[in-house]
Amino acid sequence: MNRSTEVAQTIVAQISDPHIKRPGEVAYGVIDTAQALGRCVQFLNSLVPKPDIVVVSGDIADSGRDEEYRHFQELMAPLVIPFVILPGNHDDRAAIRRSFPAAADLRSEGPLNAVMRLDHLVLVLLDSSVPGEPHGFLGSDTLAWLDVRLCEDAESPALIFLHHPPFVTGIRHMDVQNLRNADALAEVVARHERVRLVAAGHVHRAAFTLFAGVPAVIAPGISHAVALDLDPAGLPAFRLETPGLYLHIWTRGDVTGQLVSHALPIGMFDGPYPFFDAEGRLR
Amino acid sequence: MTANGKGVSLRLENCAKTYPGGIQVLSPMTLEIARGETVVLLGPSGCGKTTTLRIIAGLIQPDHGGRVLFDGVDVTSVPIEKRNVGMVFQSYALFPNMTVAGNIGYGLKIRHVPKAERRKRVDAMMQLVGIDTLHDRRVDQLSGGQRQRVALARAVACQPRVLLLDEPLTALDASLRDRLRTDLNQLFRSLGITTIYVTHDQGEAMALGDRIVVMTKGTIAQVGTPDEIYFRPANRFVAEFIGAANILEGPLQSEVMLLPGGQLHIDGGRTGDTAVAMVRPEAIGIVSPDGASWTGRIQTKIFLGDRLRLTVAEAATSAIVVDASNRLVVQVGDRVGLTVPNGSVRLLTS
Repeated sequence: MNRSTEVAQTIVAQISDPHIKRPGEVAYGVIDTAQALGRCVQFLNSLVPKPDIVVVSGDIADSGRDEEYRHFQELMAPLVIPFVILPGNHDDRAAIRRSFPAAADLRSEGPLNAVMRLDHLVLVLLDSSVPGEPHGFLGSDTLAWLDVRLCEDAESPALIFLHHPPFVTGIRHMDVQNLRNADALAEVVARHERVRLVAAGHVHRAAFTLFAGVPAVIAPGISHAVALDLDPAGLPAFRLETPGLYLHIWTRGDVTGQLVSHALPIGMFDGPYPFFDAEGRLR
Repeated sequence: MTANGKGVSLRLENCAKTYPGGIQVLSPMTLEIARGETVVLLGPSGCGKTTTLRIIAGLIQPDHGGRVLFDGVDVTSVPIEKRNVGMVFQSYALFPNMTVAGNIGYGLKIRHVPKAERRKRVDAMMQLVGIDTLHDRRVDQLSGGQRQRVALARAVACQPRVLLLDEPLTALDASLRDRLRTDLNQLFRSLGITTIYVTHDQGEAMALGDRIVVMTKGTIAQVGTPDEIYFRPANRFVAEFIGAANILEGPLQSEVMLLPGGQLHIDGGRTGDTAVAMVRPEAIGIVSPDGASWTGRIQTKIFLGDRLRLTVAEAATSAIVVDASNRLVVQVGDRVGLTVPNGSVRLLTS
């Protein structure tokens, strides 16, 4: 990538659902989520150019324990890119506040919403978690806050991140845990043309749709995937598919600029092999 | 950057803000701020102070007809990233996996400032805010006060023309807040950047502001130095919002206000209907009731260490508060005389 294009870009990496346990524990009796996060950190560090920021879209811990957040921080320590987090249904707001005193919104209670600016781009992190419940919901205070934040600085494109998808995937046992008041979010999003992406997690697999006229995605998990089972009576299950992440790349343009999202499998793969030989012939 | 005389002069001209649905959160306001001055926007929640700050930042646009000028140049339609303002919020999210230096330099990195220049500026900022020994420390290992300094250094590192702070101390505990208030005061003086500071805490406003803009219900109630605001409040709202105030109401006869407990001399008073006046608790002296022109009865007595806080009944239409010497010997129920030095009573418009 040459320098001029590099300067015009802001790269936001989205990783999701690490489900970190206490050291030595595995999730669901099988999954070494710590090892998966370690690999993900190594992969992120190897990217050229490096993302400007990493958003972790919820389910940081598997059961919201302080030790799990401590473990997460130890595993994230080698990451050379700054990261921000938002809570999912497996998280605990109070434990997050205790564990990330510098990062968490300092209000002592309520949702952990945050907004941050990266040069021309604005990232909005919404807390869709409902204490003690698996499903998502955005309180009226969060929706009002979002509306006001989106009124500000209306020229800058905004990317919205939240844990619970505001749309169905066809995986029944996950869909019932979706954002329950997706219509209310859609109403706010539709009011603000600057919103360029709504990005969720929770389902541990890549999915794409339009939401309130805006591209909307679910990020793949960085360790395990919820099994794709479209049978309405299908039982909750997971598969150890290739883990992945997104790079949301904003390229500034003369008028509006453009967002493109790349889905990347996490791993060290063979290559790159050049298409052409030294004489310019296709190999 | 050098330490002195940085920043711009600022002028808000006719800036109002109405949200969709017709709710006006800010009435048209005009305000001049000198280069290098620290101005505090003070008021209760919903008074329009944060809206004003956000208009200055370029986060929101004033209603049509309003203008924001930096050094006389109209920047109303200049977006925030081109206004070059530094902002510190109550929620000063720092990156937990980055060092102190990494956090401070992040804004510069995003702006593609070359590495060598970045390092130089980060070092200078750390020295300025007094955290130069914490260079490689992770932010989660810092105290609340140190984190606040990192947030401040990060805002200042980009050499802003205006520094904007929105309740930066509100989330901290009281003792830390007091200490940081003193530090911030010194820091603002040494930075010399034009600074706008939003708070609902009058103590912070008094300590930090060259001038204070007291706001209520979307309008400016008074602009003045801390001294002016405290001793010469423009109206009842300001008098009651800043410090403790006794509000006295009674008919005026020439320069004398008639009260249930006697008479009180008021400079500049004119005969008329009921007037409203303000006197601060520490301005009232306790004397013998014999021969006193204004008296009352001690209703409560609280020893506060540095002073004795009394409430005195029967002196005015409602009980008044008096801060007396901590050595004063009085008992609840005692009848006492009250004196107020000339010039310490202020007539108010309500």
